[in-house]
Amino acid sequence: MGNFQVSDDLLDGGVRVLRVAGDVDFDVAPQFKRRISSYIDAGERGVVIDLSAVDFIDSTAIGVLVGAIKRLRLAGGSLAVVCDNDEVRGIFEAVGLENVIPLHNSPEDALAALAVAA
Amino acid sequence: MLLLPLPSPPETVGRARLAERFVPLGLVLEADPSQLKRARDFVAAAAAEFGFARKAAYELVFAVNEAVTNAIKHGSPDEDGNVWIGIEADGDSLVCTVRDRGPFVPRSSDESGESGRGFHFMTALTDDFELVVEPEATVVRLRKLLPTSALVARA
Repeated sequence: MGNFQVSDDLLDGGVRVLRVAGDVDFDVAPQFKRRISSYIDAGERGVVIDLSAVDFIDSTAIGVLVGAIKRLRLAGGSLAVVCDNDEVRGIFEAVGLENVIPLHNSPEDALAALAVAA
Repeated sequence: MLLLPLPSPPETVGRARLAERFVPLGLVLEADPSQLKRARDFVAAAAAEFGFARKAAYELVFAVNEAVTNAIKHGSPDEDGNVWIGIEADGDSLVCTVRDRGPFVPRSSDESGESGRGFHFMTALTDDFELVVEPEATVVRLRKLLPTSALVARA
């Protein structure tokens, strides 16, 4: 286990902010996916995933993010990702994923992006 | 009086010397997702030892983690339920080999886009990616070159 942890807040505007810490790999990706799905299933349409405290994220976890973005988009919602970790950003950029999952430097930027998308 | 070893003259810290200094490493892992962190720590330590800077080390760790994840997901582990990782130096590159005892399982196409990126990542993040499918084993070999700048820094 890579010390995977999640905590969340529901902001006044109805936006769910999920803070993730540690390593998000194949071992914990199902747990990560269930957590995000639970909000979407409950009808929430604005989600921010804050990866600022993440040390490692693998392709399985990135796939969870892609899946959640697609689900929310189809439902008329949106998802924004916060990531200020250069190594993790480098991984996204290596395969051109930053175009599929825009990465924001701060929760404020991510919230602003959600507001524009709404 | 404290005697310090003299620094090696630059010309002896060439590409061949890197490989000479690096002792090949092996790790046998139980084929269970809970072991992925061990695999990553093992590769990260080897990459640092070989002289990779943070970014390149991270890329190699990411790529090997994908190979080990595939071995755990698709490969049948050997009779003891294990996946094997080997790391050795070859000139100025580090070569990581991930072996499982299962037949290669071609991944099914995934319309959702949620999975199936592993090979794309392995190719993008390393300098060479090789998949060897044997009757009773699947071997993935990933090669990462030490950037020239790191060679100069060591010299």
